[in-house]
Amino acid sequence: MSTIRRLDMPLLCCLLLLGALGMAVLYAAVHQGDAGLLQRQAMYWLLGIGVFLGLCYVPLRHVALVCWPLYIVALLALLLVPVLGEVQMGARRWLNLGLFNMQPSEVMKWALILLLAFIFATREPSRGRTLMLALLASLLPAGLIVVQPDLGTALVLLTAALVLIAVAGLPWRWLLYSFIAVLVSLPLLWRSMYDYQKQRVLGFLDPQSDPLGAGYHVIQSTIAIGSGGIFGKGYLQGTQARLHFLPEQHTDFIFAVMAEEGGLLAAALLLALYGVMLARMLIIAARAHSRFGGLLTLGVCTMFMIYLGVNIGMVSGLLPVVGVPLPFVSYGGSALVTMMAAMGLVMRAAIESHGRIPWQRTANPLA
Amino acid sequence: MDASLNCRHRYDRRLLVFSLTAGMVFVALFLRLADLQWRKHEQMHLQAEQNRISIVPTLPVRGEVLDRYGRGLAVNHVSYRVQIIPDRVQDMELTMLLLAYLLDWDEKHQQQVEARLAESRSDRPVLIADQLQWAAVAPLAARLHRFPGVDVLAGTHRHYPYGELGAHLIGYLAMANSEDVADGFLPMEKVGRSGAESAFENLLHGRLGYQQEEVDALGHRVGIYKHTPPEMGASIRLSIDIDLQQAAAEALGDRSGAAVVLDVNSGEVLALLSKPGFDTNQFITGLEVEQWQSWLGDPRHPLIDRSFQAAYPPASTFKLLTMLAGLDSSLPLMDESVYCSGQLELADRNLRCWKEEGHGYVNLRQAIAQSCDVYFYQLGDKLGIDRLQATAKKWGFGEAAGFILAGEKKGVVPGPKWKRYQGLGHWTRGETMITAIGQGAMNATPLQIARFAAAIANGGKLLVPQLEVDNPPLIERELDVKPQHLERLRQAMRSVVSSPKGTAHYRLSGSPWKIAGKTGTAQVIAMAEDGDDEELLPDRHKDHAWFMGYAPFDNPRIAFAIFVEHGGHGSSAAAPVAGAIVKAMAAKEAES
Repeated sequence: MSTIRRLDMPLLCCLLLLGALGMAVLYAAVHQGDAGLLQRQAMYWLLGIGVFLGLCYVPLRHVALVCWPLYIVALLALLLVPVLGEVQMGARRWLNLGLFNMQPSEVMKWALILLLAFIFATREPSRGRTLMLALLASLLPAGLIVVQPDLGTALVLLTAALVLIAVAGLPWRWLLYSFIAVLVSLPLLWRSMYDYQKQRVLGFLDPQSDPLGAGYHVIQSTIAIGSGGIFGKGYLQGTQARLHFLPEQHTDFIFAVMAEEGGLLAAALLLALYGVMLARMLIIAARAHSRFGGLLTLGVCTMFMIYLGVNIGMVSGLLPVVGVPLPFVSYGGSALVTMMAAMGLVMRAAIESHGRIPWQRTANPLA
Repeated sequence: MDASLNCRHRYDRRLLVFSLTAGMVFVALFLRLADLQWRKHEQMHLQAEQNRISIVPTLPVRGEVLDRYGRGLAVNHVSYRVQIIPDRVQDMELTMLLLAYLLDWDEKHQQQVEARLAESRSDRPVLIADQLQWAAVAPLAARLHRFPGVDVLAGTHRHYPYGELGAHLIGYLAMANSEDVADGFLPMEKVGRSGAESAFENLLHGRLGYQQEEVDALGHRVGIYKHTPPEMGASIRLSIDIDLQQAAAEALGDRSGAAVVLDVNSGEVLALLSKPGFDTNQFITGLEVEQWQSWLGDPRHPLIDRSFQAAYPPASTFKLLTMLAGLDSSLPLMDESVYCSGQLELADRNLRCWKEEGHGYVNLRQAIAQSCDVYFYQLGDKLGIDRLQATAKKWGFGEAAGFILAGEKKGVVPGPKWKRYQGLGHWTRGETMITAIGQGAMNATPLQIARFAAAIANGGKLLVPQLEVDNPPLIERELDVKPQHLERLRQAMRSVVSSPKGTAHYRLSGSPWKIAGKTGTAQVIAMAEDGDDEELLPDRHKDHAWFMGYAPFDNPRIAFAIFVEHGGHGSSAAAPVAGAIVKAMAAKEAES
């Protein structure tokens, strides 16, 4: 059976619908300003779809081969950041690769998920050695990212890793221990935070305390969302967006544009699309023919879940401001292409599982 | 169960837990959105509107003040002003620096602006520069897009074409102070501070407009959402004839004094002059503190309107009142002659007539014409202070004339009661006698005297002086006076000018209109001792000069009161001013 015919249609539909919706919202966010932005995003979509389709043809056992190399390259890049990195907005996060700038921490997120999926697929998951390796593989890049400093990304990375570790096979009592460890480490973490990070957290706890500083973003985005009401102000009619009260409205705060103009209806539609997509990915993870494919899908699903939860949570004032995009909607080329690559891997897992039994006690975890 | 199967089971269980957790995250997000978009929608909607809608008042154009023939006394000229809404300025320090550079401010102006900004609300426009010509404001206007919160607006500024000529009468504008703001004016508005500008504020002001502007996050105006246009203030036509005012001013020259001209029938004020004046345009262009201080400290007190805000001894013009009191009392003296030797000896003091050699035998008419003091000492003595006081009060002295402009003085009509009240002891006979010639504590404003003259001319109607044209006459009261008494009084006043011995004969007998009037010379210090030459007295010790009356004699049209401070004699200092006014009036009449 050809690869194309084995594509998981529900997942593909969700993805394309999200893409279409995302472009429409992006237009609303940028139509007054830089129209070139929209064209560039369309180009990234084409590139992303290319990468997506390409990965659909790459067997997962071949992907498994690059897990360690990719992780090591990403780790090296992270190590290089303090030496060669470029400072943007007060933090050293970017590497100039000549053609484009890249954020090694972004690559690391996906590299780590791949690696963890590989580790738990090829080793006995509940064994202490496996867990130690997984934890070490997670904490090392997380530590490097914290010192950049980019606390948000580090937390996203760690959360994704921990969820994956937990689902893949961590015994319950270990989970309990680690939960206690996190609680204990919170005050230590607070002490090691930079002032601007503390400000953000404080601003989140009480946005009105500093309405023009740290709290401004959140106040304006909650106003935008709330003023949208149930039916919204109408497409391109959002005053908060149109008059630039919304910060970063084409990237991290794009959800507020949609919620303002489309109201609760549009927001719920978006949540539903994401919900269906994630549910479909969980089904793929459960039915995966290989352990690697299942864990990989779960990892990607976890990452999207975190992106989505953190982004909407932040924009609606539930969580502190962390620079996390809204998947497939926020403007940003590298994020889109990497997310499409991840979707390609998930789709490949679905293709490989099509018409075959889920992994049981079978010998080869990779096929 | 082998380990591998155990692993699969655990994986399925954990997947289920993960799904449930993910589901809870979705529910939490949805609940949060529902909370914001449904439950708190109203409040959030309001906040979004407040974000974008900024209500900016737009000032109405002030009505103009015109004279009775429509000539502009206070008019509007086009100019540009700069205002700033502090809340919308991103970098105030830099903005101030650049504004100072572009508008070429000196340090003083910059400090004034900063002081004003400090005391103003930061969400309302604050006026920081005014009355700029286009050339001055163009450098800023061209770069306005780089100054969020700063606006250049075309508007009008007040101009007083006649400058000093109408300073007191027309008044001036000043920036609203904290009291005005408490009364509902905006801090950026100019408010009438004196004269007609203040008295007719409600008419002239017009109604504020409001502009609901849509602004973006940077404070730039994006569009006008709703605009309630301002309504221009009404223009008012004053009863003033600026030509007449001009004629009076020219005749007064550099001397301090006042001239009031009333229409005898309508009570309209045709001229109301006080000298020295001050240039009210300086208030509009930004009065320097030094200039203001110098006006305040000037011994000639230019800021006081001498025509109604100050009262002076009416001197011999009061003799008309004494005469009226006498006629009312039907004293035999009214038809007898009195011998004036130049002085009248009383028990404790010696009262002198202004004419040292005396007037000889004078009857009532001659006593008025030649202003014989001795005659009126005797008449006053016979009448007593009560009748003098009652007559003066009846003819409008000691009370405000009801003029619309603020600050009117009532003057004083003294008497025993008044003196006791002042704590000055008992009233003496001598005081009655000097009151009868308008000296002593008696004082009156030129406006009161002009009103008195008008009442004589119009047959006994005491009018309220009106500053607006075309209003029906407002009669304060019809006076109970016998026509034949009034006729005698008029004849006597006429002889002041017509009789060769009349005090104003020399100055006014050639007037185109027949004038009836009365001179007055008010002593400033006790009468000079023998041998003192009045010409050598310093100006501030010179007598005040008066001339009041009406014209034409046969068919009275105007009544006037001229007051020349330290002018010397009424006949030489004040009467010519009246002559100039009547001449201007007559010339105008002849033209039309």
